[in-house]
Amino acid sequence: MVLSALMPLFLISSVDRLSDLNDQLLLLLNSAAGRSWLFDSLVAFFLDNDLAKAGVIGCCFLAAWYGGKSSNSTNARRKILITTLVAAVCVITTTKVLSKTIFLPRPEIQSQKIYRLDGDQLVEMKRMPVRFMLDEESQKSYHALLNGDVETNDLGSFPSDHAGFFIAISLGIWLASRRLGWLALGWTAIVILGGKMISAQHTPLDIAAGAGVAIVELSAIQYVLRKRFNGILERLTSLTLRYSALSSAIVFLVAFEVSSTMIHIRAFLGLLAAMRRHVLLGMG
Amino acid sequence: MKKFVIVIASFGFIFLTSCKVQKEGIVIMTDHSYKATLLANNKIGIGSPDGLLWHKGKLYFADEGGVALESWNRTEGLKKLADASVGFLSPEDLVIDAQDNIFFTDDDAGGLWEYTADGKLREVAGKDKGLISTEGIAMAKDGSLLVGDGEQHEVFRVTRDGNVSEFLGKEAGITKPESMVFDDQGNLYIADNEDNVLYLLDANRKLHRIIDRNEAFSPETIYYSKGSLYITDSHNCKLYVYTPGEELKTIAAFGGQLKNVQGVTVDDQGNILLSVQSDLKHKVGNIIEISKEETQVAKK
Repeated sequence: MVLSALMPLFLISSVDRLSDLNDQLLLLLNSAAGRSWLFDSLVAFFLDNDLAKAGVIGCCFLAAWYGGKSSNSTNARRKILITTLVAAVCVITTTKVLSKTIFLPRPEIQSQKIYRLDGDQLVEMKRMPVRFMLDEESQKSYHALLNGDVETNDLGSFPSDHAGFFIAISLGIWLASRRLGWLALGWTAIVILGGKMISAQHTPLDIAAGAGVAIVELSAIQYVLRKRFNGILERLTSLTLRYSALSSAIVFLVAFEVSSTMIHIRAFLGLLAAMRRHVLLGMG
Repeated sequence: MKKFVIVIASFGFIFLTSCKVQKEGIVIMTDHSYKATLLANNKIGIGSPDGLLWHKGKLYFADEGGVALESWNRTEGLKKLADASVGFLSPEDLVIDAQDNIFFTDDDAGGLWEYTADGKLREVAGKDKGLISTEGIAMAKDGSLLVGDGEQHEVFRVTRDGNVSEFLGKEAGITKPESMVFDDQGNLYIADNEDNVLYLLDANRKLHRIIDRNEAFSPETIYYSKGSLYITDSHNCKLYVYTPGEELKTIAAFGGQLKNVQGVTVDDQGNILLSVQSDLKHKVGNIIEISKEETQVAKK
Protein backbone atom coordinates (compact mmCIF):
# COMPACT_ATOMS: atom_id res chain seq x y z
CA MET A 1 0.00 0.00 0.00
CA VAL A 2 2.73 2.43 1.07
CA LEU A 3 4.86 1.27 -1.83
CA SER A 4 2.15 1.89 -4.40
CA ALA A 5 1.61 5.37 -2.95
CA LEU A 6 5.33 6.17 -3.06
CA MET A 7 5.83 4.77 -6.57
CA PRO A 8 4.50 7.81 -8.48
CA LEU A 9 6.60 10.15 -6.30
CA PHE A 10 9.66 8.02 -6.96
CA LEU A 11 8.96 8.03 -10.71
CA ILE A 12 8.45 11.80 -10.80
CA SER A 13 11.65 12.47 -8.88
CA SER A 14 13.54 10.03 -11.14
CA VAL A 15 12.25 11.76 -14.27
CA ASP A 16 13.19 15.16 -12.81
CA ARG A 17 16.66 13.95 -11.92
CA LEU A 18 17.13 12.41 -15.37
CA SER A 19 15.95 15.64 -16.98
CA ASP A 20 18.38 17.70 -14.85
CA LEU A 21 21.23 15.36 -15.68
CA ASN A 22 20.33 15.59 -19.36
CA ASP A 23 20.38 19.41 -19.23
CA GLN A 24 23.66 19.50 -17.31
CA LEU A 25 25.33 17.11 -19.75
CA LEU A 26 24.11 19.11 -22.71
CA LEU A 27 25.30 22.41 -21.25
CA LEU A 28 28.67 20.86 -20.45
CA LEU A 29 29.15 19.67 -24.05
CA ASN A 30 27.69 22.86 -25.48
CA SER A 31 30.07 24.97 -23.38
CA ALA A 32 32.70 24.23 -26.04
CA ALA A 33 30.68 26.16 -28.63
CA GLY A 34 30.78 29.90 -29.24
CA ARG A 35 34.38 30.40 -28.05
CA SER A 36 36.50 29.80 -31.12
CA TRP A 37 35.53 30.44 -34.72
CA LEU A 38 37.99 27.75 -35.87
CA PHE A 39 36.65 25.04 -33.55
CA ASP A 40 33.03 25.90 -34.37
CA SER A 41 33.72 25.92 -38.10
CA LEU A 42 35.33 22.48 -37.83
CA VAL A 43 32.37 21.08 -35.89
CA ALA A 44 29.94 22.66 -38.36
CA PHE A 45 31.93 21.29 -41.31
CA PHE A 46 31.65 17.73 -40.01
CA LEU A 47 27.95 18.25 -39.30
CA ASP A 48 27.04 19.69 -42.67
CA ASN A 49 29.39 17.98 -45.10
CA ASP A 50 28.06 14.55 -46.03
CA LEU A 51 31.43 13.28 -47.22
CA ALA A 52 33.16 14.27 -44.00
CA LYS A 53 30.27 13.28 -41.79
CA ALA A 54 29.08 9.99 -43.20
CA GLY A 55 31.63 9.13 -45.92
CA VAL A 56 33.63 7.23 -43.29
CA ILE A 57 30.58 5.14 -42.39
CA GLY A 58 29.95 4.43 -46.10
CA CYS A 59 33.61 3.38 -46.52
CA CYS A 60 33.39 1.08 -43.48
CA PHE A 61 30.23 -0.45 -44.93
CA LEU A 62 31.93 -1.11 -48.30
CA ALA A 63 35.04 -2.50 -46.61
CA ALA A 64 32.94 -4.84 -44.50
CA TRP A 65 31.01 -5.93 -47.60
CA TYR A 66 34.15 -6.91 -49.53
CA GLY A 67 36.40 -7.76 -46.60
CA GLY A 68 35.58 -11.46 -45.99
CA LYS A 69 38.57 -13.76 -45.95
CA SER A 70 36.66 -16.66 -47.46
CA SER A 71 33.45 -16.98 -49.43
CA ASN A 72 31.75 -18.28 -46.29
CA SER A 73 32.76 -15.30 -44.18
CA THR A 74 31.87 -12.91 -47.04
CA ASN A 75 28.48 -14.59 -47.22
CA ALA A 76 27.96 -14.22 -43.48
CA ARG A 77 29.01 -10.55 -43.51
CA ARG A 78 26.72 -9.73 -46.43
CA LYS A 79 23.76 -11.35 -44.70
CA ILE A 80 24.35 -9.15 -41.67
CA LEU A 81 24.81 -6.03 -43.79
CA ILE A 82 21.67 -6.63 -45.90
CA THR A 83 19.70 -7.12 -42.69
CA THR A 84 21.29 -3.97 -41.28
CA LEU A 85 20.03 -1.95 -44.25
CA VAL A 86 16.48 -3.22 -43.69
CA ALA A 87 16.82 -2.34 -39.98
CA ALA A 88 18.21 1.13 -40.78
CA VAL A 89 15.14 1.94 -42.91
CA CYS A 90 12.86 0.75 -40.07
CA VAL A 91 14.85 2.75 -37.52
CA ILE A 92 14.66 5.99 -39.48
CA THR A 93 10.92 5.46 -40.01
CA THR A 94 10.40 4.86 -36.26
CA THR A 95 12.46 7.87 -35.17
CA LYS A 96 10.70 10.13 -37.70
CA VAL A 97 7.26 8.98 -36.54
CA LEU A 98 8.21 9.36 -32.87
CA SER A 99 9.70 12.80 -33.36
CA LYS A 100 6.49 13.94 -35.03
CA THR A 101 4.36 12.72 -32.12
CA ILE A 102 6.58 13.48 -29.14
CA PHE A 103 6.93 17.18 -28.84
CA LEU A 104 10.36 18.35 -27.76
CA PRO A 105 11.97 21.28 -29.58
CA ARG A 106 15.70 21.33 -30.19
CA PRO A 107 17.69 22.81 -27.28
CA GLU A 108 18.74 25.76 -29.47
CA ILE A 109 15.02 26.55 -29.95
CA GLN A 110 14.46 26.16 -26.20
CA SER A 111 16.88 29.03 -25.66
CA GLN A 112 14.06 31.37 -26.75
CA LYS A 113 10.98 32.53 -24.88
CA ILE A 114 8.57 29.71 -25.64
CA TYR A 115 5.06 28.96 -24.46
CA ARG A 116 3.90 25.39 -24.68
CA LEU A 117 0.29 24.26 -24.79
CA ASP A 118 -0.34 22.26 -21.62
CA GLY A 119 -4.00 21.29 -21.34
CA ASP A 120 -6.00 24.51 -21.29
CA GLN A 121 -3.14 26.91 -20.82
CA LEU A 122 0.05 28.14 -22.38
CA VAL A 123 2.92 27.56 -20.00
CA GLU A 124 6.28 29.28 -20.39
CA MET A 125 9.01 26.69 -20.88
CA LYS A 126 12.27 26.66 -18.99
CA ARG A 127 14.82 28.47 -21.12
CA MET A 128 17.95 26.55 -22.01
CA PRO A 129 20.98 28.87 -21.82
CA VAL A 130 22.80 27.30 -24.77
CA ARG A 131 25.74 28.87 -26.59
CA PHE A 132 25.57 29.35 -30.34
CA MET A 133 28.40 28.44 -32.68
CA LEU A 134 30.33 31.19 -34.41
CA ASP A 135 30.60 29.74 -37.93
CA GLU A 136 28.70 31.45 -40.74
CA GLU A 137 25.90 28.88 -41.16
CA SER A 138 25.19 28.62 -37.42
CA GLN A 139 25.09 32.39 -37.12
CA LYS A 140 22.66 32.56 -40.06
CA SER A 141 20.35 30.03 -38.47
CA TYR A 142 20.67 31.82 -35.10
CA HIS A 143 19.51 35.09 -36.67
CA ALA A 144 16.72 33.24 -38.48
CA LEU A 145 15.66 31.83 -35.10
CA LEU A 146 15.59 35.32 -33.60
CA ASN A 147 13.27 36.23 -36.46
CA GLY A 148 11.03 33.29 -35.66
CA ASP A 149 12.06 31.14 -38.63
CA VAL A 150 11.63 27.71 -37.13
CA GLU A 151 11.36 24.59 -39.25
CA THR A 152 8.83 21.93 -38.28
CA ASN A 153 11.71 19.44 -38.04
CA ASP A 154 13.20 21.57 -35.25
CA LEU A 155 10.17 21.06 -33.03
CA GLY A 156 10.55 17.31 -32.66
CA SER A 157 14.14 16.52 -31.70
CA PHE A 158 13.31 13.41 -29.65
CA PRO A 159 14.59 10.88 -30.59
CA SER A 160 17.52 11.81 -32.80
CA ASP A 161 17.11 10.21 -36.24
CA HIS A 162 20.83 10.73 -36.91
CA ALA A 163 21.64 8.71 -33.78
CA GLY A 164 19.16 6.00 -34.76
CA PHE A 165 20.31 5.70 -38.37
CA PHE A 166 24.06 5.88 -37.90
CA ILE A 167 24.14 3.69 -34.81
CA ALA A 168 22.05 1.05 -36.61
CA ILE A 169 24.46 1.07 -39.58
CA SER A 170 27.58 1.18 -37.40
CA LEU A 171 26.33 -1.63 -35.16
CA GLY A 172 25.56 -3.69 -38.26
CA ILE A 173 29.10 -3.09 -39.47
CA TRP A 174 30.36 -4.05 -36.00
CA LEU A 175 28.44 -7.33 -36.18
CA ALA A 176 30.03 -8.02 -39.58
CA SER A 177 33.53 -6.86 -38.73
CA ARG A 178 34.67 -5.84 -35.26
CA ARG A 179 37.57 -3.61 -36.35
CA LEU A 180 35.58 -1.67 -38.94
CA GLY A 181 32.63 -1.57 -36.56
CA TRP A 182 34.64 0.12 -33.80
CA LEU A 183 35.83 2.71 -36.30
CA ALA A 184 32.26 3.36 -37.51
CA LEU A 185 30.86 3.48 -33.97
CA GLY A 186 33.64 5.80 -32.79
CA TRP A 187 33.12 8.13 -35.74
CA THR A 188 29.36 8.14 -35.17
CA ALA A 189 29.67 8.84 -31.46
CA ILE A 190 32.41 11.45 -31.51
CA VAL A 191 32.14 13.24 -34.84
CA ILE A 192 28.47 12.93 -35.83
CA LEU A 193 26.63 12.81 -32.51
CA GLY A 194 29.18 14.80 -30.49
CA GLY A 195 28.79 17.64 -33.00
CA LYS A 196 25.02 17.47 -32.67
CA MET A 197 25.29 18.00 -28.89
CA ILE A 198 28.03 20.65 -29.05
CA SER A 199 25.88 22.65 -31.46
CA ALA A 200 22.80 22.14 -29.19
CA GLN A 201 20.79 20.43 -31.93
CA HIS A 202 20.19 17.41 -29.72
CA THR A 203 20.35 16.59 -26.02
CA PRO A 204 22.08 13.44 -24.72
CA LEU A 205 18.59 12.06 -24.06
CA ASP A 206 17.60 12.50 -27.75
CA ILE A 207 20.78 10.66 -28.74
CA ALA A 208 20.26 7.89 -26.17
CA ALA A 209 16.67 7.38 -27.33
CA GLY A 210 17.74 7.23 -31.00
CA ALA A 211 20.44 4.73 -30.05
CA GLY A 212 17.89 2.73 -28.05
CA VAL A 213 15.56 2.49 -31.05
CA ALA A 214 18.51 1.43 -33.23
CA ILE A 215 19.67 -1.29 -30.83
CA VAL A 216 16.17 -2.68 -30.26
CA GLU A 217 15.15 -2.73 -33.92
CA LEU A 218 18.49 -3.95 -35.25
CA SER A 219 18.50 -6.83 -32.74
CA ALA A 220 14.89 -7.76 -33.46
CA ILE A 221 15.24 -7.55 -37.24
CA GLN A 222 18.55 -9.45 -37.25
CA TYR A 223 16.90 -12.18 -35.18
CA VAL A 224 13.67 -12.39 -37.18
CA LEU A 225 15.24 -12.23 -40.65
CA ARG A 226 17.93 -14.74 -39.84
CA LYS A 227 15.54 -17.15 -38.15
CA ARG A 228 12.57 -16.87 -40.49
CA PHE A 229 13.97 -15.61 -43.77
CA ASN A 230 17.41 -17.17 -43.86
CA GLY A 231 16.62 -18.80 -47.21
CA ILE A 232 15.98 -15.47 -48.87
CA LEU A 233 19.12 -13.98 -47.31
CA GLU A 234 21.16 -16.97 -48.56
CA ARG A 235 19.78 -16.53 -52.05
CA LEU A 236 20.47 -12.78 -52.02
CA THR A 237 24.05 -13.16 -50.86
CA SER A 238 24.78 -15.89 -53.39
CA LEU A 239 23.35 -13.60 -56.08
CA THR A 240 25.75 -10.84 -54.99
CA LEU A 241 28.63 -13.26 -55.45
CA ARG A 242 27.40 -14.58 -58.80
CA TYR A 243 26.65 -11.12 -60.25
CA SER A 244 29.48 -9.30 -58.57
CA ALA A 245 29.66 -6.38 -61.05
CA LEU A 246 25.96 -5.56 -60.72
CA SER A 247 25.95 -6.07 -56.97
CA SER A 248 29.03 -3.83 -56.63
CA ALA A 249 27.18 -1.08 -58.47
CA ILE A 250 24.16 -1.49 -56.20
CA VAL A 251 26.29 -1.57 -53.05
CA PHE A 252 28.07 1.59 -54.21
CA LEU A 253 24.68 3.29 -54.56
CA VAL A 254 23.63 2.04 -51.13
CA ALA A 255 26.89 3.22 -49.52
CA PHE A 256 26.48 6.55 -51.31
CA GLU A 257 22.99 6.93 -49.88
CA VAL A 258 24.12 5.86 -46.42
CA SER A 259 26.78 8.57 -46.66
CA SER A 260 24.14 11.17 -47.40
CA THR A 261 21.51 9.97 -44.89
CA MET A 262 19.28 8.89 -47.79
CA ILE A 263 18.64 12.51 -48.78
CA HIS A 264 18.46 11.64 -52.49
CA ILE A 265 16.01 8.79 -51.95
CA ARG A 266 13.85 11.11 -49.83
CA ALA A 267 13.96 13.72 -52.61
CA PHE A 268 12.96 11.04 -55.13
CA LEU A 269 10.03 9.94 -52.94
CA GLY A 270 9.03 13.60 -52.66
CA LEU A 271 9.06 13.86 -56.46
CA LEU A 272 6.85 10.75 -56.71
CA ALA A 273 4.40 12.26 -54.21
CA ALA A 274 4.34 15.53 -56.15
CA MET A 275 3.78 13.63 -59.42
CA ARG A 276 0.89 11.75 -57.81
CA ARG A 277 -0.65 15.04 -56.68
CA HIS A 278 -0.18 16.84 -59.98
CA VAL A 279 -0.72 14.09 -62.54
CA LEU A 280 -3.05 11.57 -60.94
CA LEU A 281 -5.08 13.87 -58.70
CA GLY A 282 -4.91 16.83 -61.10
CA MET A 283 -4.00 19.35 -58.41
CA GLY A 284 -2.38 21.96 -60.58
CA MET B 1 17.47 -16.28 -27.51
CA LYS B 2 13.69 -16.18 -27.16
CA LYS B 3 14.05 -14.63 -23.70
CA PHE B 4 16.42 -12.07 -25.14
CA VAL B 5 13.90 -11.08 -27.81
CA ILE B 6 11.10 -10.88 -25.23
CA VAL B 7 13.25 -8.64 -23.00
CA ILE B 8 14.13 -6.38 -25.93
CA ALA B 9 10.52 -6.24 -27.17
CA SER B 10 9.31 -5.43 -23.62
CA PHE B 11 11.92 -2.70 -23.30
CA GLY B 12 10.81 -1.24 -26.64
CA PHE B 13 7.15 -1.37 -25.62
CA ILE B 14 7.83 0.30 -22.24
CA PHE B 15 9.97 2.93 -23.94
CA LEU B 16 7.30 3.76 -26.49
CA THR B 17 4.38 3.80 -24.08
CA SER B 18 6.17 5.73 -21.32
CA CYS B 19 6.68 8.73 -23.60
CA LYS B 20 4.06 11.44 -23.66
CA VAL B 21 2.65 10.80 -27.11
CA GLN B 22 0.46 13.71 -28.02
CA LYS B 23 0.32 16.56 -30.43
CA GLU B 24 1.41 19.71 -28.71
CA GLY B 25 1.64 23.31 -29.67
CA ILE B 26 4.05 26.13 -29.01
CA VAL B 27 4.29 29.86 -29.33
CA ILE B 28 7.79 31.27 -29.73
CA MET B 29 7.98 34.94 -28.78
CA THR B 30 10.48 36.62 -31.06
CA ASP B 31 9.55 39.92 -29.46
CA HIS B 32 10.27 39.21 -25.79
CA SER B 33 8.21 42.16 -24.59
CA TYR B 34 5.06 40.12 -25.28
CA LYS B 35 3.60 37.11 -23.52
CA ALA B 36 1.10 34.52 -24.76
CA THR B 37 -1.96 33.11 -23.04
CA LEU B 38 -4.67 30.75 -24.17
CA LEU B 39 -7.82 32.84 -24.05
CA ALA B 40 -10.32 30.18 -25.14
CA ASN B 41 -10.61 26.80 -26.76
CA ASN B 42 -13.33 24.32 -27.71
CA LYS B 43 -14.44 24.09 -24.08
CA ILE B 44 -16.26 27.42 -24.43
CA GLY B 45 -18.24 25.95 -27.33
CA ILE B 46 -16.48 27.33 -30.41
CA GLY B 47 -15.60 25.13 -33.37
CA SER B 48 -12.64 26.27 -35.41
CA PRO B 49 -12.95 30.02 -36.05
CA ASP B 50 -11.36 31.79 -38.97
CA GLY B 51 -12.16 35.51 -38.79
CA LEU B 52 -12.54 37.18 -35.42
CA LEU B 53 -13.29 40.75 -34.40
CA TRP B 54 -13.30 42.64 -31.12
CA HIS B 55 -16.27 44.99 -30.92
CA LYS B 56 -17.71 46.80 -27.90
CA GLY B 57 -16.32 44.42 -25.29
CA LYS B 58 -17.18 41.24 -27.17
CA LEU B 59 -15.28 38.92 -29.43
CA TYR B 60 -17.13 37.90 -32.60
CA PHE B 61 -16.23 34.74 -34.49
CA ALA B 62 -16.75 33.69 -38.10
CA ASP B 63 -16.59 30.07 -37.00
CA GLU B 64 -15.63 28.18 -40.16
CA GLY B 65 -15.29 24.79 -38.43
CA GLY B 66 -18.47 25.18 -36.37
CA VAL B 67 -20.31 26.74 -39.36
CA ALA B 68 -21.71 29.52 -37.17
CA LEU B 69 -21.52 33.17 -36.32
CA GLU B 70 -20.82 33.60 -32.61
CA SER B 71 -20.08 36.19 -29.96
CA TRP B 72 -18.23 35.69 -26.68
CA ASN B 73 -17.06 37.47 -23.59
CA ARG B 74 -16.03 36.24 -20.16
CA THR B 75 -19.24 37.23 -18.37
CA GLU B 76 -21.84 36.15 -20.92
CA GLY B 77 -20.00 33.19 -22.41
CA LEU B 78 -20.56 32.02 -25.97
CA LYS B 79 -23.66 33.03 -27.88
CA LYS B 80 -24.52 31.44 -31.21
CA LEU B 81 -25.95 34.20 -33.41
CA ALA B 82 -26.56 32.18 -36.57
CA ASP B 83 -25.78 28.71 -37.86
CA ALA B 84 -25.68 26.61 -41.03
CA SER B 85 -29.45 26.17 -41.13
CA VAL B 86 -29.77 29.53 -42.89
CA GLY B 87 -27.59 28.57 -45.84
CA PHE B 88 -24.03 29.72 -45.26
CA LEU B 89 -21.28 27.09 -45.30
CA SER B 90 -17.89 28.47 -44.30
CA PRO B 91 -17.97 31.85 -42.57
CA GLU B 92 -14.66 33.46 -43.42
CA ASP B 93 -14.21 37.06 -42.36
CA LEU B 94 -16.39 39.71 -40.73
CA VAL B 95 -16.87 43.43 -40.10
CA ILE B 96 -19.32 45.22 -37.80
CA ASP B 97 -20.76 48.68 -38.33
CA ALA B 98 -21.47 51.32 -35.70
CA GLN B 99 -25.07 50.08 -35.38
CA ASP B 100 -23.80 46.55 -34.52
CA ASN B 101 -24.86 44.98 -37.82
CA ILE B 102 -22.45 42.16 -38.67
CA PHE B 103 -21.40 41.48 -42.27
CA PHE B 104 -19.52 38.35 -43.18
CA THR B 105 -18.16 36.45 -46.18
CA ASP B 106 -18.23 32.77 -47.05
CA ASP B 107 -15.64 31.15 -49.32
CA ASP B 108 -17.78 28.04 -49.98
CA ALA B 109 -21.34 29.36 -50.26
CA GLY B 110 -20.13 32.69 -51.63
CA GLY B 111 -22.09 35.90 -51.17
CA LEU B 112 -22.16 38.64 -48.57
CA TRP B 113 -24.22 37.95 -45.46
CA GLU B 114 -25.64 40.26 -42.83
CA TYR B 115 -26.68 39.54 -39.27
CA THR B 116 -28.58 42.61 -38.19
CA ALA B 117 -28.44 44.18 -34.74
CA ASP B 118 -32.01 42.99 -34.13
CA GLY B 119 -31.05 39.38 -34.81
CA LYS B 120 -32.12 38.78 -38.43
CA LEU B 121 -29.93 37.04 -40.97
CA ARG B 122 -30.03 37.75 -44.69
CA GLU B 123 -27.90 37.32 -47.77
CA VAL B 124 -27.14 40.83 -49.00
CA ALA B 125 -25.86 39.58 -52.38
CA GLY B 126 -25.20 36.04 -53.50
CA LYS B 127 -23.52 33.93 -56.13
CA ASP B 128 -26.06 35.08 -58.71
CA LYS B 129 -24.50 38.55 -58.48
CA GLY B 130 -20.99 37.23 -59.06
CA LEU B 131 -19.84 36.72 -55.47
CA ILE B 132 -18.60 33.14 -55.94
CA SER B 133 -16.02 32.61 -53.19
CA THR B 134 -15.92 35.57 -50.86
CA GLU B 135 -12.88 36.12 -48.65
CA GLY B 136 -11.73 39.47 -47.29
CA ILE B 137 -14.19 42.16 -46.24
CA ALA B 138 -13.82 45.85 -45.34
CA MET B 139 -16.30 48.60 -44.69
CA ALA B 140 -15.92 51.78 -46.73
CA LYS B 141 -16.60 55.24 -45.31
CA ASP B 142 -19.89 55.48 -47.24
CA GLY B 143 -21.15 52.32 -45.51
CA SER B 144 -20.78 50.05 -48.54
CA LEU B 145 -18.84 46.81 -48.20
CA LEU B 146 -15.73 45.85 -50.15
CA VAL B 147 -15.63 42.10 -50.70
CA GLY B 148 -12.71 40.13 -52.13
CA ASP B 149 -13.44 37.10 -54.29
CA GLY B 150 -10.81 34.36 -54.51
CA GLU B 151 -12.23 32.71 -57.61
CA GLN B 152 -13.03 35.85 -59.57
CA HIS B 153 -9.73 37.44 -58.50
CA GLU B 154 -11.50 40.74 -57.98
CA VAL B 155 -12.68 43.07 -55.26
CA PHE B 156 -16.35 44.08 -55.43
CA ARG B 157 -18.25 46.92 -53.86
CA VAL B 158 -21.57 45.82 -52.38
CA THR B 159 -24.15 48.34 -51.20
CA ARG B 160 -26.49 47.61 -48.31
CA ASP B 161 -29.35 47.04 -50.76
CA GLY B 162 -27.38 44.36 -52.59
CA ASN B 163 -26.01 46.18 -55.62
CA VAL B 164 -22.69 44.73 -56.72
CA SER B 165 -20.10 46.63 -58.74
CA GLU B 166 -16.46 46.08 -59.56
CA PHE B 167 -14.09 47.91 -57.23
CA LEU B 168 -10.76 46.38 -58.32
CA GLY B 169 -10.90 44.27 -61.46
CA LYS B 170 -8.70 41.41 -62.65
CA GLU B 171 -6.29 43.92 -64.21
CA ALA B 172 -5.20 44.91 -60.68
CA GLY B 173 -3.48 41.51 -60.52
CA ILE B 174 -4.69 40.49 -57.08
CA THR B 175 -5.16 36.72 -57.16
CA LYS B 176 -6.77 36.11 -53.76
CA PRO B 177 -7.92 39.10 -51.71
CA GLU B 178 -7.96 37.06 -48.50
CA SER B 179 -8.20 39.97 -46.09
CA MET B 180 -8.73 43.73 -46.30
CA VAL B 181 -8.67 46.62 -43.86
CA PHE B 182 -8.71 50.43 -43.98
CA ASP B 183 -6.18 52.46 -42.02
CA ASP B 184 -7.05 55.77 -40.35
CA GLN B 185 -5.93 57.71 -43.47
CA GLY B 186 -8.41 55.93 -45.71
CA ASN B 187 -5.81 53.71 -47.38
CA LEU B 188 -6.93 50.15 -48.02
CA TYR B 189 -4.55 47.28 -47.22
CA ILE B 190 -5.20 44.08 -49.16
CA ALA B 191 -3.61 40.72 -48.25
CA ASP B 192 -3.16 38.27 -51.13
CA ASN B 193 -2.14 34.92 -49.63
CA GLU B 194 -1.85 33.19 -53.00
CA ASP B 195 0.68 35.55 -54.58
CA ASN B 196 2.00 36.31 -51.08
CA VAL B 197 1.80 40.08 -51.41
CA LEU B 198 0.53 42.84 -49.15
CA TYR B 199 -0.93 45.66 -51.24
CA LEU B 200 -1.88 49.18 -50.32
CA LEU B 201 -4.49 51.06 -52.32
CA ASP B 202 -3.97 54.72 -51.54
CA ALA B 203 -6.57 57.48 -51.52
CA ASN B 204 -5.74 58.22 -55.20
CA ARG B 205 -6.60 54.60 -56.04
CA LYS B 206 -2.99 53.77 -56.82
CA LEU B 207 -2.05 50.20 -55.89
CA HIS B 208 1.35 49.65 -54.20
CA ARG B 209 3.06 46.36 -53.40
CA ILE B 210 4.10 47.02 -49.81
CA ILE B 211 5.54 43.61 -48.90
CA ASP B 212 6.43 41.04 -51.51
CA ARG B 213 8.70 38.30 -50.23
CA ASN B 214 7.31 35.24 -51.97
CA GLU B 215 8.17 32.16 -49.91
CA ALA B 216 8.89 33.87 -46.62
CA PHE B 217 5.66 35.85 -46.29
CA SER B 218 2.04 34.95 -46.90
CA PRO B 219 -0.50 37.35 -45.35
CA GLU B 220 -3.60 35.54 -44.12
CA THR B 221 -5.48 38.17 -42.11
CA ILE B 222 -4.69 41.82 -41.49
CA TYR B 223 -5.99 44.17 -38.81
CA TYR B 224 -5.19 47.84 -38.37
CA SER B 225 -4.94 49.36 -34.90
CA LYS B 226 -3.33 52.57 -33.64
CA GLY B 227 -0.92 53.09 -36.53
CA SER B 228 0.15 49.47 -36.87
CA LEU B 229 -0.96 46.66 -39.12
CA TYR B 230 -1.09 43.22 -37.48
CA ILE B 231 -0.66 40.33 -39.91
CA THR B 232 -1.10 36.60 -39.46
CA ASP B 233 0.67 34.19 -41.78
CA SER B 234 -0.71 30.65 -41.79
CA HIS B 235 1.92 29.36 -44.25
CA ASN B 236 4.91 30.52 -42.25
CA CYS B 237 3.05 30.26 -38.91
CA LYS B 238 3.80 33.77 -37.72
CA LEU B 239 2.32 36.96 -36.38
CA TYR B 240 3.87 40.17 -37.67
CA VAL B 241 3.43 43.85 -37.05
CA TYR B 242 3.97 46.34 -39.85
CA THR B 243 4.31 50.03 -39.21
CA PRO B 244 4.56 52.26 -42.31
CA GLY B 245 8.13 53.40 -42.83
CA GLU B 246 9.52 50.56 -40.72
CA GLU B 247 10.61 46.98 -41.37
CA LEU B 248 8.15 44.13 -40.98
CA LYS B 249 8.67 42.74 -37.46
CA THR B 250 7.85 39.23 -36.28
CA ILE B 251 6.12 39.17 -32.90
CA ALA B 252 5.66 35.42 -32.55
CA ALA B 253 6.05 32.14 -34.39
CA PHE B 254 3.74 29.18 -33.87
CA GLY B 255 4.30 25.46 -34.03
CA GLY B 256 2.63 22.10 -33.52
CA GLN B 257 -1.14 22.24 -33.22
CA LEU B 258 -1.03 26.03 -32.90
CA LYS B 259 0.71 26.62 -36.20
CA ASN B 260 -2.34 27.42 -38.32
CA VAL B 261 -2.90 31.03 -37.23
CA GLN B 262 -5.84 32.61 -39.02
CA GLY B 263 -7.75 35.66 -37.79
CA VAL B 264 -6.37 38.60 -35.87
CA THR B 265 -7.94 41.48 -33.99
CA VAL B 266 -6.96 43.86 -31.18
CA ASP B 267 -9.04 44.50 -28.06
CA ASP B 268 -9.55 47.78 -26.17
CA GLN B 269 -6.46 47.19 -24.01
CA GLY B 270 -4.25 46.66 -27.06
CA ASN B 271 -4.03 42.88 -26.61
CA ILE B 272 -3.70 40.98 -29.88
CA LEU B 273 -6.23 38.17 -30.24
CA LEU B 274 -5.65 35.35 -32.70
CA SER B 275 -7.74 32.46 -33.92
CA VAL B 276 -5.93 29.19 -34.56
CA GLN B 277 -7.47 26.41 -36.62
CA SER B 278 -5.81 23.39 -35.05
CA ASP B 279 -8.00 20.92 -36.93
CA LEU B 280 -10.69 22.40 -39.14
CA LYS B 281 -12.16 19.02 -40.11
CA HIS B 282 -12.62 17.97 -36.50
CA LYS B 283 -13.63 21.47 -35.36
CA VAL B 284 -10.65 22.04 -33.09
CA GLY B 285 -9.76 25.67 -32.57
CA ASN B 286 -8.00 27.92 -30.08
CA ILE B 287 -7.98 31.62 -29.32
CA ILE B 288 -4.63 33.03 -28.22
CA GLU B 289 -4.02 36.37 -26.58
CA ILE B 290 -0.67 38.05 -27.18
CA SER B 291 -0.20 40.87 -24.70
CA LYS B 292 2.59 43.06 -23.40
CA GLU B 293 4.43 41.78 -20.32
CA GLU B 294 3.34 43.64 -17.18
CA THR B 295 6.75 45.27 -16.80
CA GLN B 296 6.38 46.70 -20.32
CA VAL B 297 2.90 47.98 -19.52
CA ALA B 298 4.22 49.58 -16.31
CA LYS B 299 7.05 51.25 -18.25
CA LYS B 300 4.52 52.69 -20.69
